[in-house]
Amino acid sequence: MAPAIHYYCPCQSGESVQTPPPPHMASSSASFHPLHCLFFCEECDAVRCNRCVSIEVSGYYCPNCLFEVPSASVRAEKNRCARNCFSCPICRSTLQVVASDPPDGGDGRPSVSLSNVGEPPFFLYCNHCRWDSAEVGITFEKPTGLAAQLQKFEDSAPESLEFERLKEHFEPFLRTSSLSSSLSHVPSTSSHHLPTSSATAAASAALARDVPGVGKYNPLARSRVGRDRTANKDEMPEYKSRMEIGVLGQLGSEGDGSDVEALRRMELAEEIASLEQRWGNSWTTSLRTSDLRPLRIPLHSKVSKRCPTCRHILIKPEQKAQSVRYKIKLVAANYLPAMTVALPHTQGADAARRPQAKAPSASDDRNAGAMMAGKSYPFHLALTNPLYDPIQVRLSVQRMHVTAVTDSTAPEKARRTPFAISLPTSSFPVAAFAEAWEYDDDDDMFGLEDDELGLEMGRTRDKDGKGKVKTVGVLEKRANVTVVGGEVVIGKEARGYVKFNMLVSYTYRSDDPLPSEDGAGTPSRTVAKTPEVKTFTFYTVVDLGPILPREEKVDPDI
Amino acid sequence: MDAPVYYSKAEFIETDTGNKVSRRATIAGPQNIILGGKTIISSGAIIRGDLRRTGPGHAVVISLGRYCLVGEGCVMRPPYKTYRGNFNYYPMKIGDYVHIGANAVVEAATIGNHVVIGKNCVIGKFTIIKDCAQVADNTIIPPNTVIPALALFAGSPGRFVEDLPESTQEMVESQTKQYYSRFQPLER
Ligand SMILES: [Zn+2]
Ligand SMILES: [Zn+2]
Ligand SMILES: [Zn+2]
Ligand SMILES: [Zn+2]
Repeated sequence: MAPAIHYYCPCQSGESVQTPPPPHMASSSASFHPLHCLFFCEECDAVRCNRCVSIEVSGYYCPNCLFEVPSASVRAEKNRCARNCFSCPICRSTLQVVASDPPDGGDGRPSVSLSNVGEPPFFLYCNHCRWDSAEVGITFEKPTGLAAQLQKFEDSAPESLEFERLKEHFEPFLRTSSLSSSLSHVPSTSSHHLPTSSATAAASAALARDVPGVGKYNPLARSRVGRDRTANKDEMPEYKSRMEIGVLGQLGSEGDGSDVEALRRMELAEEIASLEQRWGNSWTTSLRTSDLRPLRIPLHSKVSKRCPTCRHILIKPEQKAQSVRYKIKLVAANYLPAMTVALPHTQGADAARRPQAKAPSASDDRNAGAMMAGKSYPFHLALTNPLYDPIQVRLSVQRMHVTAVTDSTAPEKARRTPFAISLPTSSFPVAAFAEAWEYDDDDDMFGLEDDELGLEMGRTRDKDGKGKVKTVGVLEKRANVTVVGGEVVIGKEARGYVKFNMLVSYTYRSDDPLPSEDGAGTPSRTVAKTPEVKTFTFYTVVDLGPILPREEKVDPDI
Repeated sequence: MDAPVYYSKAEFIETDTGNKVSRRATIAGPQNIILGGKTIISSGAIIRGDLRRTGPGHAVVISLGRYCLVGEGCVMRPPYKTYRGNFNYYPMKIGDYVHIGANAVVEAATIGNHVVIGKNCVIGKFTIIKDCAQVADNTIIPPNTVIPALALFAGSPGRFVEDLPESTQEMVESQTKQYYSRFQPLER
């Protein structure tokens, strides 16, 4: 794996803990994220991540026909597309409506002509596994409005009818209890330190509504619900099931004798529907693959995201389902310096034969990037400033002695940090971002810089990381990028990964607040008129890669 | 900070608009192909501009926008179907900042902007890929699939995996631009 830097969001650590977990602990990965996945709340001056933001659905659409479904009809249509979109019950690929006229492709393939032309009956056909709905006796007279026809089947299923009856039965109770639960909905502050998102609130309200009694178990709400006499459970008339228990068994969904009988006669494993094939169904279905039915495609949603603490909107997409623009987009990449890490001893040699930069294959030359125990290696950190003001950055390594606290009886040696990191001790500048750097036609400049970088790498390599000159310190400044060098000294008995938490602290001056033209995530940190220096601090985890034990050392020079 | 990706200067033809086309790529029917500029066609790629709609006159068969990459060994072939008894090819339109990984076979109808397709993918006939979508390596997308904006698809058949981050557009734009600037000739 290529060396990587991830950024810390403190939401998993609780209020009192400000520092991230040690990098070798499993909990570490849950707290660190790639920079481009993080948000930034200006109000709280804090990083937020997908685990802690509150989510609100701002619109529903079908991922296949891309129709934007009004929220009013989402419920009636049971969260699935009500047009002509179905997924294959066997492979989940999208099904196509085809007519049953004879194939006429001269190429010998069973070419199926497209919908809306040709003869009835129409049926659904899978382009991937070639399943078709005629196999299970589903055909249509017209190629349109198929979902409505299939939903009729769904709705007439005994389980569905039973569920409808249950809902009907509880309706009067639901109405009163939802009234009281909406009255009693107090934001819970005791158990969760984060306020529940409105989606969670909606879900819990729905649960309280649909499963009577759930709302009552909220200790905060109990007193108020208790006051509501009409919601008394005892006043409910007894529910009589529409069908006898055991009827469901005859439908083939109970795992009883008929299933055993069917299994006895089976010859191929494929005759049993896999769990995945049955997973997405609303009701329990039969075990037999031949009983599987096409599924209406579940809808997707567009979401807004809010800061969990101050409720300010961090992400607000445009209404149109397929638009990739945002009305509000406060992402951390517009506030924090972007950082990349590289090991110069792995670069250069293989740069030329890598066809695509974004997919460096981890499998080939696995050992080329590895570091040997007992050696030291330089590494490069490139910091890119997204702000319109220059920043001054200071880096420091979080001490690793955190682990020593856990067990004092363990031998001293095992707890010793297996490697030592050197970083520039003084702060260094990163120039301001300017639109000009991004210009399309400055390729020449980029080319030149790349050459310089190549030279730089060559020099460091000659010294084999031992040269005292410029292994640690600022190596290069270009545009809004500063490259600094660090060094890792790996202990002789070291194992595992060179992975360490790094504290990044940057100061920025904001004397002329720039008006944000589009309002969408421009780096505008407005401060008072007088030039003011502010500091922002965040944690990162730097993963330089695995350590090779000394025994496995292969010396190419011999 | 990323190292340059070198190519042999003799192998590539660079156009006025900065397209870089390998001499080892097969460009059939070049008059029917449009490259938007700063687009790279890698060695071994096959682009079938010759598979055009029947009928007189000029026709754009395959168009690619700016900062695209057609990876090594890719096959780009316009989709076809028989409609009312007539066999025909249909044009393929690809937006800006689109990277297609090595050895992919693409028969899509449209691919939006800022789309990344991994290596060894098969993109079936008449597939529609919306803006900022991504297809993971080794994915098989069956014909007529629609991939919505900002969705990641993977598997065989390719299925929705997750929504991509809100900053995908900026990420892909800078990655594709960077790739173009890193793609440097080596004299020799
Ligand atoms: Zn978080
Ligand atoms: Zn649909
Ligand atoms: Zn299928
Ligand atoms: Zn906030």
